[in-house]
Amino acid sequence: MGQPPLRKKRDLLPYALVTPALAITIAIIFLPMFQTITYSFSQYILYKPQEKGFIGFENYKTAFSDPLFASSLIHTFVWIVSIIVFQFLLGFATALLLNRRFTGRGIARSLILVPWVTPSVITALMWRWMYDGNHGLINQLLAKFGLIKEFIPFLAQTSTAMGSIIVALIWQGFPFFAIMLLAGLQAIPDELYEAAEIDGATKTQRFFNVTIPMLKPVILTTILLRTIWVANSLDIILIMTGGGPGYSTYTLPVYSYIKAYKGMDFGYSSTIAVLLTILLMLIVTGYVRNILKSQED
Amino acid sequence: MKRVIALTLILLIVGSFAFAQGGKAKTDDVQVVKFWYHFDNPETALNPLIEKFEAENPGIKIDPERISWDTYNQKLLTSIAGGYPPDVAQVKLWWQPQLVEMGALLPLDGYIANWDGKDDIHDRIWELTRHSDGKQYYMPLQMVILYLYYRADMFQELGLAVPKTREEFLDVAKKLTRDLDGDGIVDVYGFGIRGARGGHDWWGTFVLSSGAEFFDANGRSRLTTPQAIAANQWFIDLYTKHKVSPPTTPSDGFVEVIANMKSGKTAMTIHHLGSAKELEAVLGDKISAAPVPKGTEGYWTSFGDEENAIFAATKVPDAAFKWASFLAEAENNAIWQKSSGQVSVNKSNASADADRFLKATTDSAEFAGVLPAHPGVSEFVESLWPALMQQAFAGQITSTQMMQSIEAHFAK
Repeated sequence: MGQPPLRKKRDLLPYALVTPALAITIAIIFLPMFQTITYSFSQYILYKPQEKGFIGFENYKTAFSDPLFASSLIHTFVWIVSIIVFQFLLGFATALLLNRRFTGRGIARSLILVPWVTPSVITALMWRWMYDGNHGLINQLLAKFGLIKEFIPFLAQTSTAMGSIIVALIWQGFPFFAIMLLAGLQAIPDELYEAAEIDGATKTQRFFNVTIPMLKPVILTTILLRTIWVANSLDIILIMTGGGPGYSTYTLPVYSYIKAYKGMDFGYSSTIAVLLTILLMLIVTGYVRNILKSQED
Repeated sequence: MKRVIALTLILLIVGSFAFAQGGKAKTDDVQVVKFWYHFDNPETALNPLIEKFEAENPGIKIDPERISWDTYNQKLLTSIAGGYPPDVAQVKLWWQPQLVEMGALLPLDGYIANWDGKDDIHDRIWELTRHSDGKQYYMPLQMVILYLYYRADMFQELGLAVPKTREEFLDVAKKLTRDLDGDGIVDVYGFGIRGARGGHDWWGTFVLSSGAEFFDANGRSRLTTPQAIAANQWFIDLYTKHKVSPPTTPSDGFVEVIANMKSGKTAMTIHHLGSAKELEAVLGDKISAAPVPKGTEGYWTSFGDEENAIFAATKVPDAAFKWASFLAEAENNAIWQKSSGQVSVNKSNASADADRFLKATTDSAEFAGVLPAHPGVSEFVESLWPALMQQAFAGQITSTQMMQSIEAHFAK
């Protein structure tokens, strides 16, 4: 315990250096988070300041009996699973292609990033006009090739709206998978393949016994990151359909946003946000625990 | 040495928080009026108006800020809740109940009583903008009234007359819906309905004129009477049964509705003077205008308005009123409309040589109405109406369910 007094004086520096980052994190992450949790237990409608107050679990009770919350939850689930699965498959295929030697590979590798670096707002507007049911490019192409007779109002039908947005988001996000997996592929030492080949492993065997196990950490981390981002994304939905037609493209973030900024009901909106966070945390902790376990094996 | 660095850092951080509040320049002689607006191009009219105002009123500076329309309402409400609203801001009539309930607005009756320009404002505008508590919080700025746009050339080609009633309207809409090249696909639709956010004006024209009423004279809802439900069904049928509106209707917003008129995809729609220039530039004489058709009970069209409000939190109420009233004076208001493309609120600006669009506007002035003064109107417009209408168009809910949901919303 008897530390020299000189040491004590020096100890101030690390704190001072960490303080700015910590202060900013507390101010812009933890305070709003704490406030959201407080709001979720309150009645807080912006234009009814007199009625603001603590109401316990009322908002949570409302959420559990709210059919719109239930359908938004299902949409969120469909949204995450379909996007992650297709982005992963498409991204993996792209990574394998880009890992081969061919002329123009450098250009292809940079071009593949275009969807990922395009701002979401532009992506959403672009797809919205491509899907347009009166003048849209996709309809015109389909009609030209004789695949359809009448234009399809992709974003105006409840049956096609969600699928159409999912396609747009898959397009936007698959390059992230491609690039991460490509980096992973390049890190696999050639000796492993050579050794496997000498042992008589076929191409398929090499893929499943060398490539996949070696890529596993990258795959798991990338899927985890993307799951969190995709679950929270709302800009593309807001711009392409605004949650419509009807409530057919409401996911939990969209519902929370619309409740807060169109309905001005910050209490209930916060409850939805908190519930989404809890769900995500459950998924993430379960997932991380699994990764750790598989790493130990 | 390290200790010095550490202390300096801490001081800097603490200092920056302490002085963050004191950042605003405190000037005793110059009053700054923070003004929020939301049209696109300030060069056309706003900047010249500010220069003129500042020259006429030394000692007052206008600090204008353009806020995008999509987020205008939410930014305004959050700025009020946060305690830092602007001094003057452009506002809409249907926000007034919320703003008054929040205690955000400064009543202007005292100021207006002493203002010379008050008699030059159309009486109907004072009537419509006065709040239900009898106080005047809004300073008139501009107005528009929604009317029917129609393709005069198509009407002539088919020998149709401009519809005066709902029945005539349906009849011409059906006739205008045509397959032009005989490939079995409809090329022109009779009527462009805005099914996305903002489309309640299209809906109101046919539903609120045919028996549906948010509140009657006794404050009772008349949204779920058999008549009201039938009127709503009639409107839904335009899309689902008669198919006189394009298949994209549920997602069509303002941009799509106007684009469809310009491209000839639709032959009629509803909107106001704000799109006249744009449509005329593309269609020339082929586009014309008339008041909306009459429903079973009478006429209803939307009075589209824009006012300036002064916020209760302002430290410079006198200067703020000077600016708001300056913009409502005939000469300045006429300049303002160059940017807005809308109609002046002043009697002395009413021009005798009105074109067909302005004529359709003034012809509709008598029956133009507004949504009820109720704090729920904002959510109704922003998210409830579009969602319900789109569900009804998709057949997911009935006309009755839609009207019941609206009634329940306004009963809260």
